[in-house]
Parts: sequence; C-alpha cells; structure tokens
Amino acid sequence: MSIKKTAVLIASGAMMTAGAASAQDGEELLIGGALSLTGIQAPLDTPGFLGAEVAVDYLNENGGILGRPVKFVNIDGKSDPVTVGNVAVELIDRGAELIVAPCDFDFGGPASREAQEAGLVGISTCASDPLYSSWSLGDKQFTLSMWNTTMGAVAANFACEEKGWKKAYVVTDQFIAYTKSLSKYFVEHYKDIGCDVILEDTYTNGDNDFSAQLSRLQALDETPDVIFLSSYGQDIGVIIRALREAGINAPVLGGDAYDDPAMHEGLGEKLGNDIYFVTHAWMGPESHEKMPEFIELYTAKHGEAPESSFVATGWDTIMLMAAAVEAAGTTEGAAVARALEEGEFDLLTGTLAYSSAEEGHEPDKAAVLTELTGGKPSFMGWRRPETLPKP
Amino acid sequence: MDFAIQFIINVLSLGGAYALMALGLVLVYGILKLVNFAYGELIMVAGYTLHLVGGSPLPWLVMAAVAVVMAMVAGLATDYVAFRPVRAKSVTAVLITSFAFSTLLQNAALLFISPRPRSVPLPEIFSQSVMIAGMPTPMRDIITIVAAVVLLGLFAFLMQKTVLGIAMRAAATNFTMARMLGVPANLIISSAFAISGFLAGVVGILWIGRIGTVAPAIGLEPLLIAFIACVIGGMRSLQGAVLGGFILAFIDTTLNYTLSQDLLKFRDAFTFSLVILILLWRPEGLMKGPSSGQRT
Repeated sequence: MSIKKTAVLIASGAMMTAGAASAQDGEELLIGGALSLTGIQAPLDTPGFLGAEVAVDYLNENGGILGRPVKFVNIDGKSDPVTVGNVAVELIDRGAELIVAPCDFDFGGPASREAQEAGLVGISTCASDPLYSSWSLGDKQFTLSMWNTTMGAVAANFACEEKGWKKAYVVTDQFIAYTKSLSKYFVEHYKDIGCDVILEDTYTNGDNDFSAQLSRLQALDETPDVIFLSSYGQDIGVIIRALREAGINAPVLGGDAYDDPAMHEGLGEKLGNDIYFVTHAWMGPESHEKMPEFIELYTAKHGEAPESSFVATGWDTIMLMAAAVEAAGTTEGAAVARALEEGEFDLLTGTLAYSSAEEGHEPDKAAVLTELTGGKPSFMGWRRPETLPKP
Repeated sequence: MDFAIQFIINVLSLGGAYALMALGLVLVYGILKLVNFAYGELIMVAGYTLHLVGGSPLPWLVMAAVAVVMAMVAGLATDYVAFRPVRAKSVTAVLITSFAFSTLLQNAALLFISPRPRSVPLPEIFSQSVMIAGMPTPMRDIITIVAAVVLLGLFAFLMQKTVLGIAMRAAATNFTMARMLGVPANLIISSAFAISGFLAGVVGILWIGRIGTVAPAIGLEPLLIAFIACVIGGMRSLQGAVLGGFILAFIDTTLNYTLSQDLLKFRDAFTFSLVILILLWRPEGLMKGPSSGQRT
C-alpha cells in the first residue's frame, strides 16, 4: 500500500472518531490504567484490562458518562511498582480523570498514591489485602475487591458452621501480603466461631516440594477435617497434588487465587475433587442476571470467551466509576469518593458498599463460593458474612 | 527408620532434578566460560510444547519426546541467536544477548499463548503413589530418581568414552589447543547447547510433572537452582555441578524438616548463608575443574 493511501485512511479514521465524539456532544473523559500486561502481575491484570475494555465500549454505545464519550488508556505498569507510579503520573499529565490501579497492594499502591496526590479517585481492580484502604492510601482510594477479612471469614464460616469441619490444618505460603493475611483472618475467624486449628505450617513459593510439610502432618495423632491452603499461582496445584498423592483426602479450602482454569484442568478428574474456594465472580447466569450479556459482549470484542472470572473485575471497576461519577455529577475526586462511600452498588462481582474514609473504605461485599469436582468448578452461591475479623 | 527412608527419597528425587538442571548449565559454561541466562526458557519451551501437543491423540511418551526435541532446538537456537554472533567480542555482549533471548522467549509465550498458566498433559503414573516403608510415596519421585541415575550414567559414558565427549572435555580444558589439534569449534559448542537442551527438556518434564501447569516465568526457579548448584560444586567441574545439585537439595530438605515455623519463613536466608560459608571455605566451589579457565 502506498504511503499516500495510508495517510488518507488514517485521516478518514480520525474524522470518524471526531464525528462520534461530536455526536455525543462533550469532551472526552479519559480513564487512565496502570495495569501490568507483562511480568509477574500480568496473569491478574491482563484479564482486568480486557474486561475494562469491554465496559468502555458498552458505556460509549450507551451515551458515555455524563454524556461524555469515554476513553480508556492503559500504559503497561510492567509489574514494577516504580513504573506503575510513573505511568500514573504520565496518565494524569495527559488529563486522566480517574485511575484504574493494578490488582495488588504492592503493585497498585503507587498508582493510587499518585491519583490521591492529584485529587483523583483511584480504584484497584482486585487488591484484597486490607492494606488497600483509605488509611494507607488516602481518602479518594478504593479497591473493588472484598478484603481478605471477608474472604477468610466466608471460608471459616463455610468450613466450621456450614460443613461442620471442626479441625483445620492451615498452610501459609510466605510469598506476599495476600497469602499471609488470608491465612491470618481465616484462623482468627475460625477460632472465634469455636473451631480448632490443629497444625499451622509454612511453605515457600516456588519450592515445588511439599515433602517436609507432609511428614509433619503425617506425624500428628489426629487427622484434619479440612485443609486451609493459602498459596499463590502454580504452587496451589503443586501442594494439592502432593497432598492427594500422599493419600490425604480431606477437603481443601482457599481464596481467589484458586480461580484459575489451568489449575483445575491440571488437577483433572482424579485430583481435582473436594476443593472449595472463595472468589469474586462466577461466569454464569446463576451468579448475576447480567453475566451472560457481559460474556457475550466480551466474546464479541475479543474473539474468545473469557479465560478467567477475573475479567469481571475490570468490567466492574469501570462500571463502578461510571455509576459514582453519574451520581456525583462530576469527576472531581472528593465528590466521586463521597458518591462511592454513600452508594450501594450491584456488580457482577457482588453487591458492594464502602465504609467512610475514617473507617478505611472497608468494602462490605458478597463473595462467591465455588466447588471443584472432577476438575470442574461449580457455583455454590453468594455469601456475605455478618461479622468480620478486625483488619 | 520410616522417617529416614522418606527423607532419603525426598533428597534423592529433588537432588536428581537439581543435578540435571545444574549439569545442563555447567556444560555450556565449561566450554564458553559464559552463563547461559536463557537456560530456564528451555524448560519453558519443553512445557509449552507439551501443552500445545496436549490435545493430539499421540501417546504421552511421543509428546514428551517432541517436547525434549523442541528444548534441544531451542538450545541450538540460543547458540545461533545469542552466542555465536557475539561470542568473540565481549563477555558483556553475550551476557546481554542471552538475557535478551530469555526475555524474548518469555514475552513470546506471554503474548502468543497467555500470561496465565496453561495445563500440560501428564501420564497417569505421575499421579500414582506406591507404599514404601508404610508411607505412600509418589511414583513421580521414584521416576525422577531413576531418570537422574540413567541420564547421569549416560552422560558419564558420553563424556568418557565417545569422541564427542573427549573433544568436549578437551575444549573445556584448553579451547585454543583443542582447535589446533583439529577439534571443530562450532560443532563442539553446538553439541554442548543441544545436550544442554536435552537435559533441560527431560528435567523440564519432571519439574512440570510436580506442578501440572506451565507459565511464562516457569524457568526462573530452575535457572536459579542450577546456578547456585554450580557455584557450590564449582563452575568448571561437571561432577561438581551434580554434587552441588544434591548438596543444595540436601540443605533445602534438611532445613524444611528441622526449622521451627517462625524460622521456616526465612529458610532461603539460611540456605544462602550456608552457601556463603561453603564459598568462604572453598572459593572455587567444592570441586576444582581443569586449571586453565581462559574464555574462548
């Protein structure tokens, strides 16, 4: 193709966008994303990014936000906290009015701090450590995810009260704040409601060797009713394999890190049984009436069905921003933050209400409970605990 | 007694895998005196090949063989892409090209396949266990030990008895002299990369057999393990690398068994302190290689 022809095509493309913008009669609203599409954080941030893109298209087809067309620009944060912070600064310089932060306190925190500095609302797609709060990041910062307090409490209630599993064996991966605090809140709540932990053990992420922990478990006089395993990434599969191969068939319970189709497939029919986990969403009509529509839009945009339920966190983050800005009537940080604190939101990842900035913007959120049988997950329902451990 | 048997099996199976990883790394280092930082990605290539051929009706052993062949091809590609063009220039250049090749392969997997893990097909036997001394022991551990023994034996035979092995050892001792005596340099180096890829492929399958899934960053841990094992054993000695692998597995397993819960969180700090102690005692590593260590 000749250079001239290309230039004409680009020009006509630009005119088309300009036409669409004027049709909606307003200045473009820029949402900045610092999600990491490469590096260790990519498995969690990429689905969020893909989900957010679908939400932006949906909003633009339905009149935008406050009648303004929405533009979502994400610059790769490269799983590096410093880069994430720099990217956020650049997006704010370009005129971003809202910031989407990565899905973890260590990686997402820098983006939220820059947003706070600039007086903007920042929302992390799925950081679940209670460190992701207005206490540590500022009064305009939020996380879409439930905190680990909720995740731990739902797991504890399910094991101790719903199933009557009174004795737990707890394994904690020392990898990141998420893996450690999830175990901590599970143990706290589990003991509070009258059940016992018979053994706590530690695992180092990447070891791929669970033999020493197994020998300590096998040396006990009693057997656990349930195993609470807080790990991350591929190591969850490693540990469950090791447990099952050693003939330990007690049910295994965990958090949203289990929400990984490759792990389910990897464990397969033989090993993928009696596993339960607390997570954000279920990709079916059982969890939310809007879910099939989202999946349809997602498939149409990206040409394949969602790879993981984490895509819903990206969609929800954008939709939550849109709802709050519509309620506030402006994108001004303080007003949007107030709207978020005051509202109750019905999202694909559960109903959500935030506490005030003084109380840390603690999310009061429902969680999905999922069961794995024969390597196939199934939806067990929503859970919203009445009491939570203190963060 | 039961406990001792379990402990020994654990050390041997972990050590066997570590030793094979280390051997693949030190083989190239011995000749070129350069660390191949793209070594971990050979394991990744084996894993993704298994994933990609997973849907086919081939028997598992054929899939595994294809995966090993692809790891060898990737090993050869490392030589042609990252080493050969800049080998004669500076160490820094090769360091950077091998890092670059590693990043390239990782990001290719991330972009073209997925940043999320993918499952790999594993044979039934990988998830079965046998009773040894009253304890269920995974078959996979036994397979790893057997594979390590067979491969180490084959490798020793290759290096001691065949022309290729002797030429490779000669090249590792004094490359210039070996060339003068008619050893073809490129052939020897390419063979080293191919064997290194073969070892990475086999150990990759055993390693991924523990995990069940493959992800773009899967090679990092094996590269680190191989590197530490080589440093302990001596960067210039093939036997040293094997010994280093078993020692590292012994240290890790012992610490896993004996440290209290509060200290176990800092296990890696203990491991590395011990490695530092070994190096203070033997700065060259436990086994000395051939004395002339000039870079070629």
